[in-house]
Amino acid sequence: MIEFKGVNKWFGKLHVLNHIDLKVQKGEVLVVCGPSGSGKSTLIRCINKLEPIQKGEIIVNGMSVHDSATNLTKLRTEIGFVFQQFYLYPHMTALQNITLAPVNVKKIAKAEAEKIGREKLDRVGLAEKADAYPAQLSGGQQQRVAIARGLAMSPEIMLFDEPTSALDPEMIGEVLDVMVSLASEGITMCVVTHEMGFAKKVADRVLFMDEGKIIETGKPADFFDHPQTERAADFISKILSH
Amino acid sequence: MMTFYFGRLVEMFPFFLSGLWMTTKVAFISLIVCTLIGFVLGMLRANDTFFFKHLIGVYVALARGTPFVVQIFIVFFIFPEWGLQLEPFPAALLAMAIMGSAFICEIVAGGIASIPKGQWEAAASSGLTKVQQLRFVIIPQALKVILPPLVGQYVLLIKDTSVVSVIGVMDLTRVGWVTVMRIPEGLMVFALVGLLYFAISYPLILLSNYLERKMAR
Ligand SMILES: Nc1ncnc2c1ncn2[C@@H]1O[C@H](COP(=O)(O)OP(=O)(O)OP(=O)(O)O)[C@@H](O)[C@H]1O
Ligand SMILES: [Mg+2]
Repeated sequence: MIEFKGVNKWFGKLHVLNHIDLKVQKGEVLVVCGPSGSGKSTLIRCINKLEPIQKGEIIVNGMSVHDSATNLTKLRTEIGFVFQQFYLYPHMTALQNITLAPVNVKKIAKAEAEKIGREKLDRVGLAEKADAYPAQLSGGQQQRVAIARGLAMSPEIMLFDEPTSALDPEMIGEVLDVMVSLASEGITMCVVTHEMGFAKKVADRVLFMDEGKIIETGKPADFFDHPQTERAADFISKILSH
Repeated sequence: MMTFYFGRLVEMFPFFLSGLWMTTKVAFISLIVCTLIGFVLGMLRANDTFFFKHLIGVYVALARGTPFVVQIFIVFFIFPEWGLQLEPFPAALLAMAIMGSAFICEIVAGGIASIPKGQWEAAASSGLTKVQQLRFVIIPQALKVILPPLVGQYVLLIKDTSVVSVIGVMDLTRVGWVTVMRIPEGLMVFALVGLLYFAISYPLILLSNYLERKMAR
């Protein structure tokens, strides 16, 4: 479903992605973790071409992401993206946030798009907030609307970049619950997160990065309880001590 | 003596009104043109993938860094040498468009730059094209930042139209000059000229202040 083939990326001199080879199967839930600055965000941002790469190739659903002949719009409608800072459109209601792309990208009729939009809001438990503006919602609610927006065009893949890191602790649970239910529905998910509980519960695989390299991958139980590398062990002890 | 001149001035009031009309015409048309061009250039300038970003930068610097009277002389006296011969009125509009667009471009580009990069990325991630990202997501938010200084710029541009009198456009300022030759009571004449400018710009000053307060909330 998603395949990295010898992907390399630099920010100036900084080698942010160092020869990444990776395959994510359809329906798989992959958790990406690692220290700050290790390239986790960059890794998933390359999947929908928010970032260019300098070497290698990424294939998503048979499309070569960084090939200029690839239909970028089509690619992106098949991938939902959720940001740490939500980035809801502040001048639009929750429902308008969700229907913007279906109406303007997929050219779905407005009434139909709103029906779908309400379904997505219902799915994240916010049916009654359709007409609320982002500023009127709590952080957890905003992030759930952002997830609903990501789901608006029924993507096969959802990417999450630290979706709970900007939230107050009491709101993390509501967002993780939504993500757990998505995982059980067979959506392919790549999640950058340090939420070990989430990883153990739903992840098929954990990927540990450091300095732009994939250091270790494994089943969550194996990875967290018996890390193979010292760097991973070090990292796990640090997140545990929080 | 004063009262005699005041009577003359009242007689000439229709002449002043025709000057006011000309000033309004120059201002109104050029503000619309400047706004359209300024927005397009501002959007291009705020977009780092466009190679002519820097070209626009050079134009903006030149247009903002040289006196308007010099620009209007170039348009009216030098352009004809390059094959573009214009009557005073269209030449005035063209010069205003060149100068005003540069200022508005900077205001628009600044407003767009104030929107977090994540807003672009969120919109891009959902498949919207660059133009759609601007139209639906970026510009509506940037307008809050753009509108107050934009209306403030309109006031400055309206006052700048007085310079078009130097190439013979019969605007309010030129009416003032012509009148002074007949009524040697300069203070009275130009007080009236100033008052009429003020009558157009003051509502815009109020609007700018209002927008400033409203957008700050
Ligand atoms: N646009 C950019 N220009 C230059 N350097 C960048 C840019 N974006 C990221 N970097 C650098 O690339 C490296 C990897 O960044 P990235 O955001 O992928 O790390 P991360 O693993 O997501 O870290 P964090 O846990 O802090 O989010 C960092 O050193 C960062 O400073
Ligand atoms: Mg990151």
